[in-house]
Amino acid sequence: MHATRLRRLQALGIFCGFAAGAWLGGAEAPIKLVNPDISPITVSLIMVCGVFLARWSVPAFVRGTAQVRNDVRQAPHLIIWAVLAGCMWAVANTLTIYAIRDVGLSIAFPLWNMNSLLGIFWGFLLFNELHYAGWRRWLGVVGGAVGMFAGATMLAIASSHQAAPGKAVLGVFAALGAGILWGTMYIPYRKAYLTGMNPLSFITFFTVGELVTMTVLAIGYRGATPLWHELVSARPVLFWLMLGGFVWVIGDLFQQYATKYVGISRGIPLSNTNQLWGLLWGILVFHELRGASRAVYAQVAGGSILMALGAAAIALSSATEREHSSWQDAADREGLRYGIEPEYVRAGMEGRARGKSPAGRIAIDWLLIASTTALFVVLAAMAEIPRRSLSLRWAAALAAAMSVVLAAGAVLLWRTTQFH
Amino acid sequence: MSPGTTDRAVSRNLFRAIATDVHFWIPLSVLVGGLLLLDRLR
Repeated sequence: MHATRLRRLQALGIFCGFAAGAWLGGAEAPIKLVNPDISPITVSLIMVCGVFLARWSVPAFVRGTAQVRNDVRQAPHLIIWAVLAGCMWAVANTLTIYAIRDVGLSIAFPLWNMNSLLGIFWGFLLFNELHYAGWRRWLGVVGGAVGMFAGATMLAIASSHQAAPGKAVLGVFAALGAGILWGTMYIPYRKAYLTGMNPLSFITFFTVGELVTMTVLAIGYRGATPLWHELVSARPVLFWLMLGGFVWVIGDLFQQYATKYVGISRGIPLSNTNQLWGLLWGILVFHELRGASRAVYAQVAGGSILMALGAAAIALSSATEREHSSWQDAADREGLRYGIEPEYVRAGMEGRARGKSPAGRIAIDWLLIASTTALFVVLAAMAEIPRRSLSLRWAAALAAAMSVVLAAGAVLLWRTTQFH
Repeated sequence: MSPGTTDRAVSRNLFRAIATDVHFWIPLSVLVGGLLLLDRLR
């Protein structure tokens, strides 16, 4: 690959990592509007339903499902990998609910946030990431991730008000388990993108694993009839939860592109800046930390600065040509194992189409887009306006900032890769 | 060879490639571990 092209793709991946942080953090906002009486498992299930709709309608809107079929014909093994990753996500997400219940957010969050350190480990061990990177880049990526981890710990402690509950050991295991599951889930991600899969295709199968696992867990834990009653009684908040899921998918999509173009060792820590955005929403829109002590504010400022410095260090440590050629070796190995055409693998890594792409959107795509839109309109009509105090001015400002990031990301992705 | 036989051969090769890929067993083992942990937490 030409050096200029490589630099453009690296810059794109880094931008996508930051954009992922903005949208993943913003996804917390609609969920904060929901009454805490609903069981967390049911909240997760409803969110995953929103996620499922978004993961099919967004690719249909951006490229059309014919392109998904084309990708599957080229690399059918990735259906299994994507479903496996989706199952892992759902189990990890459920574990976080228990972790928060048993040890509180301040302990649980940093524990599962170590997923990015595990991601660096798997990226290095299995996919030749950071090979021939030189000590400066090593320091940038590992030091940056450790700095972000420390910053996240400070933020979690400052923003958590829970008392330390019982069952601490199991809670710690649950948080660690979630971190290990999420950190290991990036193996299928990287596998997919090394072998040329388009992120828009990967997420459509990922979500099948996600929805099936979450449904099984919810029925198993709540029982079918009580779950149904809870879903029916949650009608006024279905819109907010599913909107949270939808916003989350946009963030996740940026995360997938970041993983594709800068690898898991850099893409995942960058998208973990979502905690900063979540904090901005919490403080500015929902008036969290109001009346908190000076020490708490100092912790928040210190944690945020540490996270921002860590992210900057990673952003400045993009892969060199030599490191990228070792990614190519890993891609060749995968292509050979699964019998994928070398040209398809190469085109995927270079962010371009291989040969002639299938025609754009077809009738089923428009049907998907129209039915998802209609469902959201119906849910919005049933939704209740939350009664809690919030700053609409700040909400509008943050939503505008996220929209700018989305528009910039879409333009960059289109110009550089045409969403490949 | 008929198209059906070819499809079966392709599927068999695909599953063989996945089953012999050590990378596949890492996330699968972690998933099973996560499910066992969830069962303990219920």
